[in-house]
Amino acid sequence: MDAFLPVGILFICALLLCVGLFTVKRLLGPRNPVASKLSVYECGVKPEGNARAPFKTGFYLIAVLFLLFDVEAAFFFPWALVYKESLAQGPGLLIAMLVYMGLLVLGLVYIFRKDCLKLN
Amino acid sequence: MDWMDLIVTAVKTIVIYLGMVQVVPIMLIVERRGAALIQDRPGPNRVGPFGLFQPIADVIKMMMKEVAVPKQVNKALYILGPFLVLFPASLVIAALPFGDFFTLFDKNYILQVANIDVGILYILAIGSLGIYGILFGGWASNNKFSLIGAMRSSSQIISYEIPLGLAACSAVLWYGTFSLREMVTGQEGTILSVLPNWGIFYQPLGFLLFFVAAFAETNRLPFDLPESEAELVAGFHTEYGPMDFGTFFMAEYMNMATMSGLMVSIYFGGWHLPWISDATLLQWLGSRNLVALIQVLTAVTKIAFFMLVFVWVRWTIPRFRFDQLMRLAWKNLIPLGLINLVITALVLYFKGAA
Amino acid sequence: MREGLFIAFSLFTIAAASGVVLSRNPVYSAFSLILSFFGLSGLYLLWGTTFMAMIQILIYTGAIVVLFVFVVMLLNLQVNKESSPNFLIVGISGAAVWFFSLIILRVLTQAIPNTLPAIPTDQIRTISKLLFTRYLWPFEVLSLFLLVMIIAIFAITRTQEIPHGGEKQ
Repeated sequence: MDAFLPVGILFICALLLCVGLFTVKRLLGPRNPVASKLSVYECGVKPEGNARAPFKTGFYLIAVLFLLFDVEAAFFFPWALVYKESLAQGPGLLIAMLVYMGLLVLGLVYIFRKDCLKLN
Repeated sequence: MDWMDLIVTAVKTIVIYLGMVQVVPIMLIVERRGAALIQDRPGPNRVGPFGLFQPIADVIKMMMKEVAVPKQVNKALYILGPFLVLFPASLVIAALPFGDFFTLFDKNYILQVANIDVGILYILAIGSLGIYGILFGGWASNNKFSLIGAMRSSSQIISYEIPLGLAACSAVLWYGTFSLREMVTGQEGTILSVLPNWGIFYQPLGFLLFFVAAFAETNRLPFDLPESEAELVAGFHTEYGPMDFGTFFMAEYMNMATMSGLMVSIYFGGWHLPWISDATLLQWLGSRNLVALIQVLTAVTKIAFFMLVFVWVRWTIPRFRFDQLMRLAWKNLIPLGLINLVITALVLYFKGAA
Repeated sequence: MREGLFIAFSLFTIAAASGVVLSRNPVYSAFSLILSFFGLSGLYLLWGTTFMAMIQILIYTGAIVVLFVFVVMLLNLQVNKESSPNFLIVGISGAAVWFFSLIILRVLTQAIPNTLPAIPTDQIRTISKLLFTRYLWPFEVLSLFLLVMIIAIFAITRTQEIPHGGEKQ
């Protein structure tokens, strides 16, 4: 935990930079609010339609799949850490991870067969 | 921690942070001159000798331009957007090692902001926060193009985080530690006295994965569809003013520097010179601090080389389409990452059994 | 020092969590959720479990809240702006309530100790080794669980898109 004290200092530095940038942004630069400048930008054409149109479920699917694979990767990390040391006791860890990865490769194969990622 | 330690640590942190922030104006000019060189034209050469003061002109222009906050935006998140991207980009440099250690008043201080024992996880975790600035900024703009750009950019970033994590995991597997400093220390010496003992010779596939994923993570060409000028106006930063644009680009360049720093630390030996070990350097130079200076210069040169590679690739290769990008991540890189993990595990097993 | 940081992080987490519950705009709720997970991660750091702190940020803040934000942006809910309270003020008052109840509990029942427990050393390797010896079976079952989730997600999101408003299943 002591190692994170410099990270705290870095946090404060980053905060100061952000506040500085914000102040500079507010202070400098002219202000000339004109209606056309303040409206939605759509390549110079008048904006039309609801700004929040419905989106494809492809994005949601990507997010969920990312979550599942991120959890999988999170379990790879502790394994990677102790793998080298545990080899002295035999191939136990290797087999455990091969089983784990095998089940997830099955999931990956299922995703490829279902072919849903073409939605994007 | 007594007062002297605290002061030295604070000064060291500030110096490293300011050094990283300096990357941004340097990259502004390097990018434009590099692009010009590749495209066989002069590039900016008016402001100062060889156009070297161009970043100053750019920054002054950005600060002095008018800020027109559109009416329809969601004020709080619109203002917070750029800073949400800048924050993780700033925090993530804490785990990068620039050198071994230097001696001041009989105490050794490491040349790194903090020796975090979970270095790689820290970088992956804080790096994954970068997408919130894009998501919230794009949503708060209340503009169709911004939102589509934000969704696409975040889908791209999260899809490529998995191969990045898997490549990093293989590196952790090989070195047996999360800490970047220990990984660099483990790359000292030579293989059979011919090649330097660098990570790339042990993990070539891992380096390839990491390299490709780093381009996608930082939204650089060939993966910059979300912010491409011709396609989506300006993507998620359509409704933003000049200084916010500057902030987004600052964050992008700092992310590039961090990714380069990671590649150098894991695969290219960090601060080690190719065939000269630290002990020989100490013999030649005598002073620990001079050796530290050489180490910092080596690390910075390697990072600079990778930044040049980023610029080089940007102006050489055409852009991927969004579905090609996604297919590359899910169908090619993730299986390759898993295969890399298995191969590394098997190699370690047979090496251990031998 | 650790106790001071503990109180600061706890207050921050509770304020952010109150913001999640009480804010009217779901995107603000998601943002407060991110802040509360940061506070939680800081609390994990104070207990010395740096690994858990990083995994908390990596998985919760980096994946789960991303999912929430995607869903919220997809759903496009209309926010009733006039009646939304200032969630910052409500969040801070919630944290103040917690703080004072903590003081009252400590004074009245002596149930809360003065200092935080000691930080154990070399936790990551211990946890990792335990994961593969004592908890090997749950570890493999987790993988099966993730596989089932992948199949379930595809079953759930088999939808048809219609042009206006939403999607029907």
